[in-house]
Amino acid sequence: MAFTLRSVKVPPNSASLEEARSRVFDFFKAACRSIPAIMDIYNLDDVVTKSQLRSTIASEIRKNSHVTNPKVIDLLLFKGMEELGNIVEHAKQRHHIIGQYVLGRQGLVQDLDTKDEGMSDFLKNFYKSNYF
Amino acid sequence: MALRAAVLRHIQVPVQTLTATGSKPLPRWSLGASLRLFSSHDDHLTKEEVIDRVLDVVKSFPKVDPSKVTPDVHFQKDLGLDSLDNVEIVMALEEEFKLEIPDKEADNIDSCNLAIEYIYNHPMAG
Repeated sequence: MAFTLRSVKVPPNSASLEEARSRVFDFFKAACRSIPAIMDIYNLDDVVTKSQLRSTIASEIRKNSHVTNPKVIDLLLFKGMEELGNIVEHAKQRHHIIGQYVLGRQGLVQDLDTKDEGMSDFLKNFYKSNYF
Repeated sequence: MALRAAVLRHIQVPVQTLTATGSKPLPRWSLGASLRLFSSHDDHLTKEEVIDRVLDVVKSFPKVDPSKVTPDVHFQKDLGLDSLDNVEIVMALEEEFKLEIPDKEADNIDSCNLAIEYIYNHPMAG
């Protein structure tokens, strides 16, 4: 049931980097074409625009653009298809989508309280991540 | 019956204004994209409209500098985008004109020129 819509490109072995590359573009196009459906399912019309979602998807793909092994690219594509399938069949919820694909680096928690203003920069960086 | 008469009376009103103004055959619907039902010849977009809308789409792409966009700019060579950005722009054009461009054609669209030409020649461009 999960892959009924997107069962086209699961054969796991890309012969070459070129084939993997064209598979990536096909995946990107499939994702972009399902953006209107996604916005409808999760009622994202007042939160984000289609072009922002397209840019987000493109930047997620670009994060892995340094990979050269076609098998690794295939696996990444498989995970991407799985994620897209989950989103389209409403296995996720609105807050997942908003947290993962709409908000930027600062994530869901925005510290704008007055109590946080006197905090040192060291602590702010510490709360954000392990490496700074 | 009364409803039918009322509807007929309502529909007859534009004809009276027609005779008053005289020449125009379709008084309300002659602006821009004409609305003649059952005719497939009139809904082609004009070339200027296609050019304007394509340039708008390209300019509103976040990685593009709007001042560099001209009708014959090349996406990768002049605007410094990469192939994924190219695909993204083609998808944005697909959305804008409500088309679905097959892969073979989409791979060829590398510059504003080709995009404008393709869309202008596409019968379903909206």
